[in-house]
Amino acid sequence: MMDKNKKSQGIDNVQQVYSKVLENVSHVGFVLLIGGYFVYILQLLPLSIPIDVIAGNWHLSAAEMHQKLNTPSGWSFFATTAMLMKGDVFSSLSIYYLATATIFCLLFTIPAYIRDKNYIYTTIAFFQIVVLLVAASGIIN
Amino acid sequence: MSPATSVFRKILMGSAAAVGVLLLYLLIPAISFAAEPQMVEQTAWWIWMLLLFAFSFVLGIFSVLAGVGGGVLFVPIVSGFFPFHLDFIRGAGLLVALSGALSAGAPLMRKGLADLKLGLPMALVGSISSIAGALAGLAMPANIVQLLLGIAIMGIATLMMKSRGSGSIIDHQESDALSKMLGISGVYYDEVTKKDISWQIHRTPMGLVLFMFIGFIGGMFGMGAGWANVPVFNLLMGVPLKVAVATSGLVLSINGAAAAWVYIFKGAVIPLIAVPAIGGIMLGSKIGAKLLTKVNTRSVRMIVIIMLVIAGLRSLLKGFGI
Repeated sequence: MMDKNKKSQGIDNVQQVYSKVLENVSHVGFVLLIGGYFVYILQLLPLSIPIDVIAGNWHLSAAEMHQKLNTPSGWSFFATTAMLMKGDVFSSLSIYYLATATIFCLLFTIPAYIRDKNYIYTTIAFFQIVVLLVAASGIIN
Repeated sequence: MSPATSVFRKILMGSAAAVGVLLLYLLIPAISFAAEPQMVEQTAWWIWMLLLFAFSFVLGIFSVLAGVGGGVLFVPIVSGFFPFHLDFIRGAGLLVALSGALSAGAPLMRKGLADLKLGLPMALVGSISSIAGALAGLAMPANIVQLLLGIAIMGIATLMMKSRGSGSIIDHQESDALSKMLGISGVYYDEVTKKDISWQIHRTPMGLVLFMFIGFIGGMFGMGAGWANVPVFNLLMGVPLKVAVATSGLVLSINGAAAAWVYIFKGAVIPLIAVPAIGGIMLGSKIGAKLLTKVNTRSVRMIVIIMLVIAGLRSLLKGFGI
């Protein structure tokens, strides 16, 4: 008990908020990742591109494969609701979720930093979210 | 221990290392033929997936025992021996590094080992440059990336040989102005010495410049950058080794996420390849952590260095079109 108290000494409130959100978000992410993959490879949902076709072309570069198979990339999955019901899309979305995990964590730190009146780190966290959102938006591609 | 026993032990360790390397390579019977298109086409996709999972699993064990991240081993070694294009391996490699960092992050933060105030400024500059690195890496011809990757792997292997897995003795210099302004310092409870260890940092501006460079390299090659983050934190900035290792994971989780989006939008992330790699490495890392106290980590580290050198040579040869 004493050790436990000692361990939590000196850890600021914001860090505790970040770790709590990170724990929840990553647990959900890994469940989705495994679940999504089984839905994909067991073909429990129809696929937008058959696995054999992907495997027959995985020696090509990403650009060549995209050109040849018209593989969906970025947020193009959301173009139609029918696309979202594909097994491979479902598996891809679980990966997207993992890539957004840090954005969720950072979003929760901003109110905590503001409460602590730590405006330098509020600004750093804000700009970090902007960088990640710009990357996730695909604008730079 | 008598000299004869010591020599015998050394011979035994050397043999164990050699057998370890052989076993690892025998796990993938198709390795020698991976470059042959006919062989690749004849092999069913699910066999490759099982091999990738098994290979990533072994890499996961070795990475923990050797004290390096799985991400740094994944790209060089898988690109040398699997039929997938380097783009997809780099995409998967980034996600391997990202997933490892995400899963380990929360407990390390709660223990005060991963420090948000230390990690965030480094991650901000690193994530911008990792996006630039990813864009540059995906725009370059594959043979140039292979060549540069070969050089980078050889550099990492050399760094590992020289570092011998130990950190520096922290020189308690005074904090610099920037770290004072940012309030970067901390206390963590050391479970070995049962003491609170307080720390502060110096040379923050130089650290920021180096994290920018590391971010670029990590994004370009899709590798985890713990091999570079930890020495910069520890040797340059005076961060205690445990805090350096843990905070490196935090930085990696942010930089990896930023660069991963570039790979996602370029179509270089295929779940078929990425998920078995993530699953294998993560499961292997958990087993590796349990074996840590029972295995001679020096010989494992030597095996990993040998594996990296072989993968680096192969990458260089591929880069030269040989």
